[in-house]
Amino acid sequence: MRAIGKGSLASILAMGLHVMRVVIWIAFVGLSIAVVMIPFAAVIVGLLSGVDGVNVDASVSIDGGDYLEIAYYFVTAAVLLFIINHLLEILKTLRFGSPFVMENADRFRAIGYALLIGELAKFAFGFLSIFIEADVDVGLELITWIAIIAVFVLSEVFREGARMKQEQELTI
Amino acid sequence: MGISVKLDRVLLERGMSLTELSERVGVTIANLSILKTGKAKAIRFSTLEAICKELKCQPGDILFFSDEDGAPAPAE
Repeated sequence: MRAIGKGSLASILAMGLHVMRVVIWIAFVGLSIAVVMIPFAAVIVGLLSGVDGVNVDASVSIDGGDYLEIAYYFVTAAVLLFIINHLLEILKTLRFGSPFVMENADRFRAIGYALLIGELAKFAFGFLSIFIEADVDVGLELITWIAIIAVFVLSEVFREGARMKQEQELTI
Repeated sequence: MGISVKLDRVLLERGMSLTELSERVGVTIANLSILKTGKAKAIRFSTLEAICKELKCQPGDILFFSDEDGAPAPAE
């Protein structure tokens, strides 16, 4: 399989990431609409149940837990978008044939921090859900933590790679 | 500071231009100027060999060492 160009793994990954980015943006917009509409949910449901022939359960109650869940989804979506954007930038440098640059080392480190923040946010929201009842799935996943460490290791490898590349370029 | 490359004097003595040296040695002018301006991090033995061969000189004729404290390199 070719490293760059049409049909390469990099181009397939880039395409997948672009699709994911669109999906997450749609989710983002959906969440934003939900946040705006929540205060009016009871009113809307009430109106709908008043219409003849429409059968709606009028007993809708939205509590703090729902807001907490939405906030959690917002954070998750933001972290995902941040990571996808950085990965796409890294793939772009690969496409132009110079992936071993300091910027990519910094990008990988930023991805590592984003993953860390995303994971810690999960626990923070899980902790909050003790006080405000919300359905936040909190579980310690070893694979996630290994992945975070792997990204940081990759970042350091890229840093050394960038240094070596620079040295090689300046060796006549 | 450190190791510097001085090609000008030897080139002048041999009556050779930088372009001619670049063609003979097979190193681009851009890379030769990296050498001349002291931006190079290292020089390959093969490059040094080719330059010495074409200029009929010793490495010591083109490479100079000066102390880190800014002592000047030998004049060209």
